[in-house]
Amino acid sequence: MDLKTRAFRKGAASAIADPVVQRNMQGLYDNFHKGRERAGDATPGWEALRDRARAVKAHTIEHLDHYLEMAASNVERAGGSVFFAEDADSATRYVLDVAKARGVRTVIKSKSMLSEEMGLNGHLERAGIEPVETDLGEYLIQLRGETPYHIIAPAVHLSQDQVSDLLQEKLGGPRYDRAEELTAAARSELRGKFIEADMGITGANFLVAETGTLVLVTNEGNGRMCTSMPRVHVAIMGMEKVVPSMEDMGMFLRLLIRSATGQRLSSYVTMVNGPRRGDDVDGPEEFHLVIVDNGRSKMLADPDLREALYCLRCGACLNSCPVYRKVGGHSYGWVYSGPIGAVVSPLLTSLPDAKDLPYASSLCGACREACPVRIDIPRMLLHLRSDLAEGGRHSGARRASPVEWLMMKAWRLTVGRPSMLRLAARLGRVVQRPLAKDGRLRSLPSPLSGWTRHRTFPTIAARSFRDRWQDGLRDD
Amino acid sequence: MTERGDFMARVRSALGRSGASRPSRVPADTAFSRDVGDVSRRAWAVLEDASERSAELMADLEGSASTAGWKVARAGSPEEAAAYVRSVAVDVEARTVVRSAHDVLARMEVDAALDRAGIATHTMTLAGNDLDAERRALREIAIHAGLGVTGVDYAVAETGSVVLLARSEVSRLPALLPPTYVAIVERGRVLPSLDELFTLRRDEFYLDNLGSYMNIITGPSRTADIGQTLVTGVHGPGDVHMVLLE
Repeated sequence: MDLKTRAFRKGAASAIADPVVQRNMQGLYDNFHKGRERAGDATPGWEALRDRARAVKAHTIEHLDHYLEMAASNVERAGGSVFFAEDADSATRYVLDVAKARGVRTVIKSKSMLSEEMGLNGHLERAGIEPVETDLGEYLIQLRGETPYHIIAPAVHLSQDQVSDLLQEKLGGPRYDRAEELTAAARSELRGKFIEADMGITGANFLVAETGTLVLVTNEGNGRMCTSMPRVHVAIMGMEKVVPSMEDMGMFLRLLIRSATGQRLSSYVTMVNGPRRGDDVDGPEEFHLVIVDNGRSKMLADPDLREALYCLRCGACLNSCPVYRKVGGHSYGWVYSGPIGAVVSPLLTSLPDAKDLPYASSLCGACREACPVRIDIPRMLLHLRSDLAEGGRHSGARRASPVEWLMMKAWRLTVGRPSMLRLAARLGRVVQRPLAKDGRLRSLPSPLSGWTRHRTFPTIAARSFRDRWQDGLRDD
Repeated sequence: MTERGDFMARVRSALGRSGASRPSRVPADTAFSRDVGDVSRRAWAVLEDASERSAELMADLEGSASTAGWKVARAGSPEEAAAYVRSVAVDVEARTVVRSAHDVLARMEVDAALDRAGIATHTMTLAGNDLDAERRALREIAIHAGLGVTGVDYAVAETGSVVLLARSEVSRLPALLPPTYVAIVERGRVLPSLDELFTLRRDEFYLDNLGSYMNIITGPSRTADIGQTLVTGVHGPGDVHMVLLE
């Protein structure tokens, strides 16, 4: 997928100015965020569940190779094929090879963020294969040629009016106004695709190592269609999705679903163990599981960022984030948005190219509070900021802004010595004279102009606090 | 080295190890730490409890299922359950009904009950002669059916869900393709929570009886992707009924 992380400020400004987006973002808060709070309160032992899930994720990630090997061998024992892909290209090649070998012409897809990382739809189209997104929100943004606005609500930025226009334009027929009619129109269009498709591609919410079970959580039923109707089922998943035991699933499903939408359970939880067996009435003839790294081992290798791999992709941190709810999902410029996106997108792409993202946060901590597995996102954002400033391992050992670094260094030298500070203040009083008006600095010259673009600064006082203190704090 | 070998080597080196890891101690937080030999004993206890507390669990399910969007009906006898299925089929003007081969549906004589209303019923099961042709034919029938009916393997009181395990007698399609779906829940099949369900599933895995596919179904198919308005019946059934059979 194209990287647009450099355009963060521009995207943010246009989302903030868009009243439709701002209204819909408020809806996320009222529906999902508050729903999550209610669902948590209604679940006995909710806080202990979060602690336990965090401990299980931590353990699994520390022994990731062990659990991946176990999962793969159990999938194979159930008759599935497993492919380990180093990056998006390798995963894409595997999927295309399977599709070509089986003469696939139409692919139905259930929502997968990893597929967005791979830009899979574009690759399928170029290979002459029609990809059809079947999650309703994902279908709408595919028709608009856009990327998901939110991890679990991809089309949350669109108004009903925009959807009416879109479906009338793309499907022909009358213009529907009601959500029920619009959904019915999409249902009947997609029903035909489910029937004709040769291959279903899904993501994965979990992979149970102990039993080799793929777990999919959906509300619409498209996940069940993709795993039941076509001849071939290909599941693609990030390597961090593995969990140890079948008996951990009660805990993880409660946490994921209640944090995502506030439902007690989603309409459907689908569990797949390989292709259909000999005398099963139906189901796919083939099952392929593609386990993808695509930069995740970079997070694994940095102990300060490893916990980003605990993420269940519930979207709760997005809904809780005052910054995400203002700047919207597209301004983050890549697959993942919101607080977790500000950590993960720079690491999976390039931190120097996405250097605005770690700063797209007030560090208020609402995301850490909302996260079902208590991922300390603010701490990781600070870690990335310091990596950028000091030129750490994720910045390719190059400081993002050498000028800023020099200025901060000079600042430290100045404020660390009373004599230097006094000298600087004396200098400042002289320099500020032509800029001051009514005791405020209203527009500083470059490179300091950014500080006064949206606010004013008080001038340096005629006498310092230190001098006044020595004189007994008398007013002059 | 193979692609898989390279992959694992990269993971290990990121974790600061060179050789394969075997966790020396599995933390008690993951159920994985529980003795596998103990699973079948616990699975027995789950089934015993489900049978002993069946009335109470059925009542709990009645509440949670309504909350989840099922239309819940109680049936005192198999005949009553069959009559309910027939009334739903008539209401939705179904011309054909597809059903699973669950025993309970045969006990209810649901085919005969529907036949009396002039409605044809197809049982989604293979005769075993030409599997490919039979599968194609069954699928075609399911695509055009107006109503799907199945028994259930389990139900979950915590969440208001039914659980279907696909196998030779249970197709994936009757609870998926038709716009209306009826699930028949027999007394004794209701589990208190998801945890008991996954204990049973884990036991079934070690008995080599996991099967290829399971669905936990909780109410109608739904979406809120257009204007954040809740709509039921997107790709799966929008009209779902649960019959609690005594």
